[in-house]
Amino acid sequence: MLRNILIRLLQAVLVLLGAALLVFIMLRIIPGNPAAVLMGEHADTAVIEKMTKELGLDQPVHVQLIHYLAGALRGDFGTSYSLGKPVSQLMASAFSNTLILALMASAFAWLVGIISGIIAAVKKNSILDHLFMGVSLLGVSMPVFMAAMVLQFFFSYKLKIFPIAGTQSFAGFILPAVALGWNSAGSVARLVRSTLLEILEEDYIDTARAKGRRQMGVLILHAMRNAMLPVITMMAIQLSGMLSGAVLTETIFSINGIGRLAVQAITGRDIPLLQGTVLFSAALVILGNFLADSLYHVLDPRIRKEA
Amino acid sequence: MRKTTTLLTTALTCAMALQASCTALAAEDGVLRTAVLYDMTTMDVAKTSDNYLVPMNVFDRLFETRKTEGGNAQIVGSLCTDYQVSEDGLTYDFTLRDGVVFSNGSELTASDVQYTFERLLKAGQENMDIPGEVAGAEQVISKEADTLEGFKVTDDLHFSVTLSNPNAGFTAELSAPAMSIVDAETMEKVKNFGKAPEDTIGSGPYIVTEWKTNDHYTLEYNPKYWGEEPSVKKVIVNVIPDANTQNLMFQNGELDLLDLQSLDTAIVESTYKTMYESQIVSTPKVGLTYLTFNENQEYLKDANVRKAICMAIDVDTIIASLYNGNAIREHGIIPTGIWAHNDQLAGYSYDPDGAKQLLSQAGYKDGEVAFEIAQDSAADSNIKLVCQAISEQLKAVGIKANIKSYDHAAWLDLRNSSKMDSFVAVWGMDYNDPANIMYTFFGNEKNTRQRSLNYPDTATMERVSAARAVMDDTTREQEYQAIEKKLIEADAVWCPLFESLHLYCMGDRVESFTPHWAGFSDFYAADVVLK
Repeated sequence: MLRNILIRLLQAVLVLLGAALLVFIMLRIIPGNPAAVLMGEHADTAVIEKMTKELGLDQPVHVQLIHYLAGALRGDFGTSYSLGKPVSQLMASAFSNTLILALMASAFAWLVGIISGIIAAVKKNSILDHLFMGVSLLGVSMPVFMAAMVLQFFFSYKLKIFPIAGTQSFAGFILPAVALGWNSAGSVARLVRSTLLEILEEDYIDTARAKGRRQMGVLILHAMRNAMLPVITMMAIQLSGMLSGAVLTETIFSINGIGRLAVQAITGRDIPLLQGTVLFSAALVILGNFLADSLYHVLDPRIRKEA
Repeated sequence: MRKTTTLLTTALTCAMALQASCTALAAEDGVLRTAVLYDMTTMDVAKTSDNYLVPMNVFDRLFETRKTEGGNAQIVGSLCTDYQVSEDGLTYDFTLRDGVVFSNGSELTASDVQYTFERLLKAGQENMDIPGEVAGAEQVISKEADTLEGFKVTDDLHFSVTLSNPNAGFTAELSAPAMSIVDAETMEKVKNFGKAPEDTIGSGPYIVTEWKTNDHYTLEYNPKYWGEEPSVKKVIVNVIPDANTQNLMFQNGELDLLDLQSLDTAIVESTYKTMYESQIVSTPKVGLTYLTFNENQEYLKDANVRKAICMAIDVDTIIASLYNGNAIREHGIIPTGIWAHNDQLAGYSYDPDGAKQLLSQAGYKDGEVAFEIAQDSAADSNIKLVCQAISEQLKAVGIKANIKSYDHAAWLDLRNSSKMDSFVAVWGMDYNDPANIMYTFFGNEKNTRQRSLNYPDTATMERVSAARAVMDDTTREQEYQAIEKKLIEADAVWCPLFESLHLYCMGDRVESFTPHWAGFSDFYAADVVLK
């Protein structure tokens, strides 16, 4: 077990280093001087040169790389060119919003997805099954921005139940969470249904029933525990994806989150901010996968045994 | 049944609670709620020329550009109550308004003005041009001198500025937001000016009380302000990156003033021009949208080709179809709204047959002339459509204008390298003086190179530069118009397109609004009157 954790940690470090190097190299390869963007369209070349020096972009690439890696190790990603504040501070402030949004969206997706998946599987080929699967298909196929705009129009503009944008109140997070979780709920529901249907055909389920277990007991204690294994993988990946930024949802509902920060970094060629958000997102994806693996260990005795 | 009733009651209570929290966002008296698409990067004019909302409202300048009843602009004294210019146009003696204090209570003196000038030069980033005209500026920039030789403080209320070269537009320049006067004492104490609201000390009608990055910032009335108390006591500027969300917020009563510029023109036409017609305020966005020609390019170096391009572009159709008529056709360099603008300049009319003929006479075969229109990926979506329209219209006369999209940083690099064939851009005027556009583009070789124009006529550039020094307004106007005529009709240095109209929509709580005279969207909150 310990060996496994150590291997995973080593892999995580290597992936992070790879991501750090990749983003660093790519930002140096693409044409265009960030100092020119920072100084605006009307700045003359002397001013741009001065700023290039001030930002340290005139230094040899290997020197810039050492500075960047040394800083990243200390958790210091530098100061954002465009916002003039430490990247770690900006990310911390944006991450709190993204975290709330991602957790609420995941809770919505999992709750709705798992419940509707179970009902659809248990009531296979019934009206309820067709209804839930139809709605989940809509969830999977509808782009997030469209769901966001439709929800915003009806619940905020027409019914005036939720604020149109902003996160001044808790209510401000509800619609974005539903919009963001809608798509995931559809995927989870479909996966739960298909996995559960397979498991319900297994011999050990018949055995449990033969022993006199109630339908609900069979479903929860025997079928769901096994059916959850692939679902957990999907949920962990979904959560890490949401945590690393939901650009469209954050833009439409005007939430200052990691996704919006990353877009700002790209459009403003803000190297420190971009490097920071990319590394942060990579770390979250690694963490999500690590979480999924760990839960596998807890839920699946076969994997524990192999380990 | 009981369970259902309990569930319904709980849901209803939650909905009511949520609705109550939304209602809590309703505006208090004296509050103006508006929105911008992007957050500001700094409140310091030494570091930005993009976002002037805070500088315009929190700081004062020696002069201000104010709209007159006819829609024109005039320069009026603000912190400066009186000034004299020497006969040679080099020295300006200024008198400051007595009794002006900054929001922290310290007195605004001539030393603060001197500090403002020198600080812009020492910062060496944005907006150095205007203080750069003062004698001794180069020494301050190069750090050979600590103070400006041409800036003399007589006492707290009097000072004189001597320029390196005469400039009749100097007072107009001093009205630009770039010349916002800062408190020297505060500046010496603050490390990163422009980032923290508590450090942003000015003498204007408002104080910045809050700035939450990518969320909102708030301005509140400065009780120490020397001028008239404005109707708006508090301004909340929400950062809403999606234009459609802004639209819904406005219609929902969550915004009091909406800039319609970023909205889809179809929404403006179908919703705003029908439902809110009487609440729309329209003003020319003083500036020019133009298509450039690089005179080092294989084909564009030929004036006949440049003229043919100007004749082949149907600007009126572009205005009608892409801007729904919300733009003014321009024929020259000095746009409508600038005091030396020439209404009589003929420029080029749409004449595709004439364009073909001109190309043929110049010896070009059909399809031979080709160049690239470099499109900035960060440009406004309408500008991208303008590029497409131009490319199609030129194709009709046998000119290949291929559009190539560049990332903003790459686009800037290419343009600054003077190797960009052509591009469509907008120049927004900062102050009411023709030099703001004429000198910037055609004042010297460096300026034309930096914008990939490579205009070769040094004699004309010298004339443009010299026109700044003509102190008599009538003579100066005539000279600018004569140069403009040569640049457009003889040299076809660029293809002037149009000046767009800037539309705002006032909410139900707004009585009146006078947009600022300028080529940018920022406004004085004091020019909004609430009901």
